[in-house]
Amino acid sequence: MGRGTLEKLATIRRGELSAVENVQRALERIGKQNKKINAFIELNPKALAEADAIDRMLKQGEHVGKLAGLTIGVKSNINVEGLRATCASRTLENYVSTYDAEVVKRIRAGGGVIIGMNNMDEFACGSSGETSAFGPTANPAAPGRIPGGSSSGPAAAIAAGFCDLCIGSDTGGSIRNPASHCGVVGVKPTYGLVPRQGLIDLGMSLDQIGPIAHDVSGAALMLETIAGKNPNECVMLNVEKVTYADKLDDGLKGMRIGVSPNFAELTDPALMRVVDGAVEKLRDLGAEIIEVELPNIEKALSAYYLIVSVEFFSATRKFDGRKYGRRIEEVCGEEVLRRILRGKYISQKEYRGKYYQRALQVRTLIKQELMAALQRTDVIVGPTVPKLPHRIGEKISVSAMYAYDYLTIPANLAGICGGVIKAGEVNGIPVGLQVQGKVLGELEMLRVMWALEAAA
Amino acid sequence: MKVKIGLEVHQQMATERKMYCDCPTNYQDVPPNTNVCPICTGMPGSKPLPPNERAVEAAIEIALMVGCKVLTCQTIYIQRKHYDYPDLPSGYQRTSLPIAKNGKLYGVRIREVHLEEDPGQYDPTAGTVDYNRSGVPLVEIVTEPDMKSPEEARKFLRTLTRLLEYTGKVRPEAGGAMRTDVNISLEGGGRVEVKNINSVKGAYRALKYEIIRQRERLRRGGAVVRETRAYLESQMVTVPMRAKETEEDYRYIPDPDIFPLILDKVRVDAVKAKMVEAPHLREARLVKQYRIPKASANVIVSERELADLYEAVAREVDPKLAATWFRTKLKKVLNYMKLSAADIKFTPTQLASLLGMVKRKRVTPEQGELVLREMVKEPADPEKLLLRLGLIPLKKSELLAAVAGAIKENPNAVKDYRAGRKEALNFLAGKVMKLTRGRADPREVSKLLRLKLKK
Repeated sequence: MGRGTLEKLATIRRGELSAVENVQRALERIGKQNKKINAFIELNPKALAEADAIDRMLKQGEHVGKLAGLTIGVKSNINVEGLRATCASRTLENYVSTYDAEVVKRIRAGGGVIIGMNNMDEFACGSSGETSAFGPTANPAAPGRIPGGSSSGPAAAIAAGFCDLCIGSDTGGSIRNPASHCGVVGVKPTYGLVPRQGLIDLGMSLDQIGPIAHDVSGAALMLETIAGKNPNECVMLNVEKVTYADKLDDGLKGMRIGVSPNFAELTDPALMRVVDGAVEKLRDLGAEIIEVELPNIEKALSAYYLIVSVEFFSATRKFDGRKYGRRIEEVCGEEVLRRILRGKYISQKEYRGKYYQRALQVRTLIKQELMAALQRTDVIVGPTVPKLPHRIGEKISVSAMYAYDYLTIPANLAGICGGVIKAGEVNGIPVGLQVQGKVLGELEMLRVMWALEAAA
Repeated sequence: MKVKIGLEVHQQMATERKMYCDCPTNYQDVPPNTNVCPICTGMPGSKPLPPNERAVEAAIEIALMVGCKVLTCQTIYIQRKHYDYPDLPSGYQRTSLPIAKNGKLYGVRIREVHLEEDPGQYDPTAGTVDYNRSGVPLVEIVTEPDMKSPEEARKFLRTLTRLLEYTGKVRPEAGGAMRTDVNISLEGGGRVEVKNINSVKGAYRALKYEIIRQRERLRRGGAVVRETRAYLESQMVTVPMRAKETEEDYRYIPDPDIFPLILDKVRVDAVKAKMVEAPHLREARLVKQYRIPKASANVIVSERELADLYEAVAREVDPKLAATWFRTKLKKVLNYMKLSAADIKFTPTQLASLLGMVKRKRVTPEQGELVLREMVKEPADPEKLLLRLGLIPLKKSELLAAVAGAIKENPNAVKDYRAGRKEALNFLAGKVMKLTRGRADPREVSKLLRLKLKK
C-alpha cells in the first residue's frame, strides 16, 4: 500500500484507481500471504460486486460517502449479514449473521467495501491473538512475535497491507494492544460514542467498536463514519454527527499533555525510553507537558477482570447449545471457560458484596482519578503495553498474559477515549504511544497522534 | 390453624409493541415465530431498544391503581435474572427493581410492583419454542401475606383482575395473560411457593390442595419445609419442582445495555391526571354523588363502560331510577344476550329518554324492558321502538273505559270483592289487562279498580 488513506481516497475519486481494482489487489495480497499471517478467517464473496456498484455510482457522479471504494476488514465479533460472526470460537462456528451491525450499515452507507472477517482471540478473551479456534495470527511487523489481541486480525491485516481500514472492538485494550505490537494506528472511542448494536458482547459496560488504520487520518475517517447516536440503542451518548479528519493539523500550540510517573513503575524501561522520546517530540512541537499522579492505576487490572467476567458470564448464557449447535462451555478454549466460571462464581448471591460490588467501587475510583487528571490536561500520554510481545507459542502464565492490559484497562473503566500511534521500535519490534483523551475528547487525542505521525 | 397467603401476580400489558423491540405483541393471532427480530430472539450482538414508554406508563398507572407510591427521582435498575430454559432466548429475563411500593387494595397490602418481560413459549412434547411471546411486557404485583384463606385469595384475585381490566392497559385474563405464583404457610410450617398457575380458579385450587397437604403433614408430625412447587392444572395437584430449580441463584446483575429507569414526578403526575378512576373509588363516589345504594353502585362499576354509560345517563334522568335499571334490567338484558357493556351501541341519550318515559309513566317498566331489549339489538330512539313493537301508549280515557267495562261485565267478581275476597281484584285486573291488550300498568290498574269499587 504505502500511500496514505486520504491520498488513496483521492485517487479513487479521480478515477485513477477503481474500487474493483482496489478490492482485487487486496484479495490478491490476502490470497498470497494470509496463509502465513492468518488475519482473515472468511472473505466476502460479494466484495467485487459491491465494489463494482461503488464504481458505477462514482462514474455517474452520484454521492458516495467518505470511505468510497476503500477495503474494510471486520473483526469476527461484529455482525455482517451473510458472513459468519464466529468470534473465532467453535461455539459460533456455523453462525451466519442475519443482520448488519449498525456500524456495518454506516460503513456500507459510507461507500466502504467489506472484504472479510478478521481473526481474533476467541470471544475477544485474550491479549495475544493466540486463542482463536482458527489458529493464531502472526505479527507482520515483528515476525515470530504475537500480534497482540484481541483484535489480532484487524491489526495484522493493516500491518500486512491486506486492506485499507479495519474495525475491531476494545474492552480492556483489544484495539490498542495489537495496534501497538503491530505498529499501526488504533482508536478506542469514548464509551457510548459508537453504536454497539451488532457487536457480540464481552463486557457490555466496557465494549466499544473502533478503527484500526494505516494512519491517523484513516482512523479519523472511519471513526467519523461509525460514530454518533443510534436512536435504537439505549446506552449511548447524545452525539449527532462528528468530524475529525479536516481538523487534525491545528498543531499542538497550547495543548496540555499529561504524563504520569506511575506508568514507568509498571513498564519495561526499554519501552519507556521510546515513550519518553515521543513525549520530547511533542514538547518540541509546542505542547505543554504536565505531570499527573495516577496512584491507583494498577488496581484497575483486578477490578476489570471481575467486572468483565461477570458481564461475560451473563452475555454467554445465550450460547446454551440449543440455537447455535454447541454449548459454549463444551467447546470453548480455556481462557473463555476461565472467565465464564469466574463470572459464575463471583456473581453468586453470597459473594456479591465481596467481589462485584468492590470491583465497581474501584472502577469509580479509577474514573475519578483519570477525570481529575484530565481536568488539568487535554490528553494523557504513555505506554500502551507494559512489555514487548512474547514469541508465538511461548507459554506464559495467566497473570503474565493479563499483565499486558495494565495500561489500557483504565480508559475502559473510565469510559474515556484512547488512541495508539507508533512511537518507535525496540529491537525492531514496534512500540505504540497511547494517547488518552477526555470523554468525547477524540479530536484533541487525534490531533496529538497526527502531530506525532507528521513529525516522524 | 392460621393460614397466611401471599401472591405474585404477573399480568401482560396490552401494548402494541414489545418491551425492548418493535415487534407486535399479538402473539396468539399469528403463526409461530413470525413476530420476532434479532432482539427478542437474542441473536448474538443484538441490543435492546430503550424500554417501551407505553409499557412503563401502563405499569405506573397500574401501580397507582393498587395504591402504591411510585418511586420517583431514583435509579431503578433493569436487572438480568439468569436461568436456563428453552423459552428464554438470552438465558436471562429482564426484570426491574420495584417501580412502586407500599400499596393497599381491599385490605391486602401490596409490597411492590415490577416491570418484566415475558419469555417465549416452549412446548416440551414437540420440543419447539415459539418466540412470538418473547419480550411482551409484563407487570408483576407482589402482595404481603395478608390473605387468610383460599377464598380470600380468590376474592382478591377477582377484584384485582377487574381492576386491571378496568385500566384498559392489560390483556384480558383469559388466554394466560395473567399468571400467579402463590406463597402459603400454615402455622408451624415453612413457606411453600407454588408456581405455574394461570387462572384465578387454578390459584384457588392450588391453595386448597396445599392446605390439605400441609395440614395432613403437620398433623402426622411431619415438617413442611420451605420449597417451590409446581401446580399441575390437569390433575389439580402441586408437585415439588426439581431441587435444581429451587436452589437456583439467579445471579442478578443490572443490565449494562439499558440505562436505569428514572421516573420523574411530572411524568407520574401526568399519568395520574389521565388515569381512570379505580372501581372501588368510583363505587364510593357514585354512592355519594348520586345517592344510590352501594349494591347498585357495585354492579355499575363492574365494567368501566357500564359505569361511564351510567354517569352519562344519570346526568339526564333521575339517578336513582337509572341505578335500579342498570342493576336489574340492563344487566339482565346484557347477561341474557351474553354481551358486555363494551358491546353496547345505543347512546346514553337514547337510554335516558327511555328512562324518562318510564319516569313519566308513558310506558310501564315491563314495556320499558321490552324496548330496552330491542334497543340493545338495534339502537334507535325509544319512541320509534315503541311503534315498532306495537306498544302504542294507552290513553287515560281508554284505561278508564277498560276498567269500567271490566266492572260491568263481571258482576260476580265485583260482588265477591265487596264481600271481602281480595283475590277477586286480581281477576278483574286481568280482565282490564286483556281489554287493553297488555298496555296498561298493572299497578295503575289495581289502584283504579280499588278506587272504583269503593264507591
